[in-house]
Amino acid sequence: MNVLRQLDRILRGDALDRGPTGRRLDFAVAPLVVLAVLLAASYGACMGAFAVLARDTPEWRQVLASAVKVPLLFVLTLVVTFPSLYVFSALLGSRLRLPDLLRVVTAGLAVLVTVLAAFGPIVAFFSVSTTNYPFILLLNVAVFAAAGGFGVTYLYRAVARTAADPRPDDESADADPEEDERDVRAARRERDRDTRRVFVVWVLVFGLVGAQSGWILRPFVGSPDLPFTWFRPKQGSFFEGVGTSVRGLFGGQSR
Amino acid sequence: MTGRILFITENTLHGNASRFTTWFGGLIIGGVGGVLYGAVMGAFGLNGVQVLYSAAKVPLLLAATTALALPSFFVLNTLLGLRADFGRAVRAVVGTQAAVGVVLAALAPYTALWYLTSGDYHEALLFNGLMFLVASGSAQWVLRRRYRPLIAANRRHRLMLWAWVVVYVFVGTQMGWVLRPFVGSPDHPPTFVRPAAWGNAYVVVFDLVVNEFRRR
Repeated sequence: MNVLRQLDRILRGDALDRGPTGRRLDFAVAPLVVLAVLLAASYGACMGAFAVLARDTPEWRQVLASAVKVPLLFVLTLVVTFPSLYVFSALLGSRLRLPDLLRVVTAGLAVLVTVLAAFGPIVAFFSVSTTNYPFILLLNVAVFAAAGGFGVTYLYRAVARTAADPRPDDESADADPEEDERDVRAARRERDRDTRRVFVVWVLVFGLVGAQSGWILRPFVGSPDLPFTWFRPKQGSFFEGVGTSVRGLFGGQSR
Repeated sequence: MTGRILFITENTLHGNASRFTTWFGGLIIGGVGGVLYGAVMGAFGLNGVQVLYSAAKVPLLLAATTALALPSFFVLNTLLGLRADFGRAVRAVVGTQAAVGVVLAALAPYTALWYLTSGDYHEALLFNGLMFLVASGSAQWVLRRRYRPLIAANRRHRLMLWAWVVVYVFVGTQMGWVLRPFVGSPDHPPTFVRPAAWGNAYVVVFDLVVNEFRRR
């Protein structure tokens, strides 16, 4: 229950304010990660529901596969991109330490998967009521894009607030007294700006890696014309796949 | 009793049912309105079973669409910092469904008259589509009226209002497609939902438009 309250504080934006300990985003990471995994899995199940009614014989394994693969997608993307975020962030002098970064990213991803899960019922409804594969693919891409937009917005707000906080162990705070205070402030502002830039670049990289990870882990929806498989052979890319779906939809390919 | 029903109906249509009992009463009246319109809508083929099915399906259409759209509405409201007003926002959007039901009931006589004057199935479909358009379009007044104080307090509510309308229409269109037939073709036996004919409303409309252009 406590973790639900934490998620609620994050969604409301209250977690971005300083907590009783004086820190922002003051929550336990592990329980929130577990909850995020469950929310992502619930969306995955909604995605995989397409394979239940769109085929001649219901393919329940796709529901299970997608429920496992959607959380895996986020974990894989994070594993690939988080180290570079930390290194580049530190390289540019960010005041965000590893635990801060972890909390910021966890909060952003929690927002993303919550939005995904919230649209889950709509996706499940369309999944079981339509047999048009390109439509369902594009609907899922649209929901992921919307959820990603909310996650990124939250992440950016969290970075802007957290990075601007002074650190007790910040060595620039006890800088050379001869140094002009204005110079110190200007340097801090520049550093915060650089931190935000790193995050913008990281978000782009996260999106690209996420899209390609999704391509590697496909199928999530499961084409009704192909037998069930846990993974497809390596070929093409996410963007080629979206292009094919758009052409399929506008080419009047309906079943 | 009649006075109380009229009082609740008027408050529902004015969008100022502030007490819960009045608001909830409005929902019941709206539901009954939906049943009434559905019954008339299903009377095209003069088949009692289709009348019953359609009477059940119109309120189901409104309720199921609202139920599916509410979780995302809740999360998006929370993310935009509008959680404190969520109760009022829900009363606004759900109360609007009641208004749709009441307006549909008021339009039922037109549909009955149309059935008496035309026996064409496709015209009946179009006429009912028009009635639904009128009902859902006019219920937007109620929604806007209920949302006005919310928007005055926080302009982000305007964004949520549009988000609700977009998601509701997107889901509602497909829900209507899934739950068809509402009118009931005279050439087919009555059925609650058409077996093996789910498909996708958007793809069907798209194909129709494309085929029309190709024919020309």
